[in-house]
Amino acid sequence: MTMPYIKKPPLEGIFVKKRKQCPFTAIGVRHIDYKDINTLSQFITERGKIIPRRITGVSFYHQKQLAKAIKRARHMALLPFVAQD
Amino acid sequence: MSKNKSHLYEGMYILSATLSEEARQKALEKITSGISERKGEVRKIFEQGRRKLAYEINGRREGYYYVIFFEIPTSSMNELWKDYHLNEDLIRFLTLQVQDVPEKLEFKSLLPM
Repeated sequence: MTMPYIKKPPLEGIFVKKRKQCPFTAIGVRHIDYKDINTLSQFITERGKIIPRRITGVSFYHQKQLAKAIKRARHMALLPFVAQD
Repeated sequence: MSKNKSHLYEGMYILSATLSEEARQKALEKITSGISERKGEVRKIFEQGRRKLAYEINGRREGYYYVIFFEIPTSSMNELWKDYHLNEDLIRFLTLQVQDVPEKLEFKSLLPM
């Protein structure tokens, strides 16, 4: 005998995660430039580390470009490798 | 495919901020003439001005930034790099292949989160 499948109603009070949209996709950026320091600095920590995309919600496609752009900016001393206090 | 195909490049250069106005112009000319001597063509120069470096490079805390768009045969790139490494006024450089020359160096800002 099989049990009839009953769809459970969603529990009340449970936190439903809303999916973040990629900030770069939202404004339709194709290419992330290393010279754009104002944008890049939003995606690094105070220490200068690159923030993982699970926190910022950046898409895979853009995170790859973003990481490269940040590394180029670091080479040109536009962004720090390690920020000193 | 021909070996001497020309490509469009973008170069960012940091010149020493300790140079005088005249010496800096001379150093910039050295860079641009290095390009044109090798059958290249300078398309556009953006002067970014004096900037504080994010970290100290060889005891220097400030630099003068330039972004130059130029077209040059790919085979000349090696010689160009060799020149840059010998140039003492040039603190750092970065050359990248690009598709087109922008009118202005402006970027879209992200939506507020």
